[in-house]
Amino acid sequence: MIKVSVNGEIKELEEGLNVSQMIEALEYKIKGFAVAVNTTFIPIAKYTDTIIKEGDTIDILAPVQGG
Amino acid sequence: MMKKIETSDDKWEIGGKTLSSRLLIGSALYPSPANMEDAIKISGSQIVTVSLRRQAAGGNEGTGGNQFWDIIKSMGIEVLPNTAGSHSAKEAITTAQMAREVFGTNWIKLEVIGDQYNLQPDPFETVKAAEILIKDGFEVFPYTTDDLVVAKRLADAGCKILMPWGSMIGSGKGLMNPDNLIAIRKQFPDLQLVVDAGIGKPSHATQAMELGYDGVLLNSAIALAQDPVKMADAFRVAVVAGRLGYEAGTMKERAFASPSTPTVGTPFWHQFD
Repeated sequence: MIKVSVNGEIKELEEGLNVSQMIEALEYKIKGFAVAVNTTFIPIAKYTDTIIKEGDTIDILAPVQGG
Repeated sequence: MMKKIETSDDKWEIGGKTLSSRLLIGSALYPSPANMEDAIKISGSQIVTVSLRRQAAGGNEGTGGNQFWDIIKSMGIEVLPNTAGSHSAKEAITTAQMAREVFGTNWIKLEVIGDQYNLQPDPFETVKAAEILIKDGFEVFPYTTDDLVVAKRLADAGCKILMPWGSMIGSGKGLMNPDNLIAIRKQFPDLQLVVDAGIGKPSHATQAMELGYDGVLLNSAIALAQDPVKMADAFRVAVVAGRLGYEAGTMKERAFASPSTPTVGTPFWHQFD
């Protein structure tokens, strides 16, 4: 298991998960979101190639009201 | 008699779209999502600003839904995602890239804050981010101050739109420095100029439009009104009034009084004045 930060919370994940597998493992259900790992945007096309590592900081952002 | 001009008769172009409303409206701070929807509808606005934030994995009430976003999508209007909360070019660029994927638009309201007290945009980081985002194919709507030199730098970076503030975000103080806004309008006759932030009353929006600005962007003035829906209607009318006033051409100011009633034929009681 590895420890990562997801939206500011420490989470334990299996080692070697890619971004798609991480989303599934986190049971993230919001439709329409985007992912950044260590403050770098990860487009959907790169989800399977991007492996989550120990200590990574992950942001999953979804639509909200804005001014 | 001249035909009454309706809002829909006045078309303008921004970010590659032809629109009839010159009022850009925010989607935050309303008493309820239903109230937001009603206010946006009555405002006639065709561009609504939205944002991205971390949310609980389960979504609203654990349903995985997002009521706000479902409403906006159903309205068939243009969305303008912002980079609110960014304090560096790097943060703004990452947020813009994420927004492009989520919202399916290359429009981005570039907002890089340089000071937490007055939420003044950071001109250096804003220009840096604008250069990179434009090269990456974004249509950048930069939130900036009313500083003419910063406006020049943003134009040099390739911005086709500039959004100088009226005054501090959420302050409702109106146009602090109309002369600065006039200077920007004169320097950039071919860019789309939108006054963004600080507008508190319909008359502020009218004033911005009378200066020749192409549009106004506001949120708090409507959402925090006693009756947001009625205020949205008021702003719709105010923006049209200001635009018509600009197109009609206002009279030149005079240093002295000048009677509007003819002086010829003044009655006898003034004949010895």
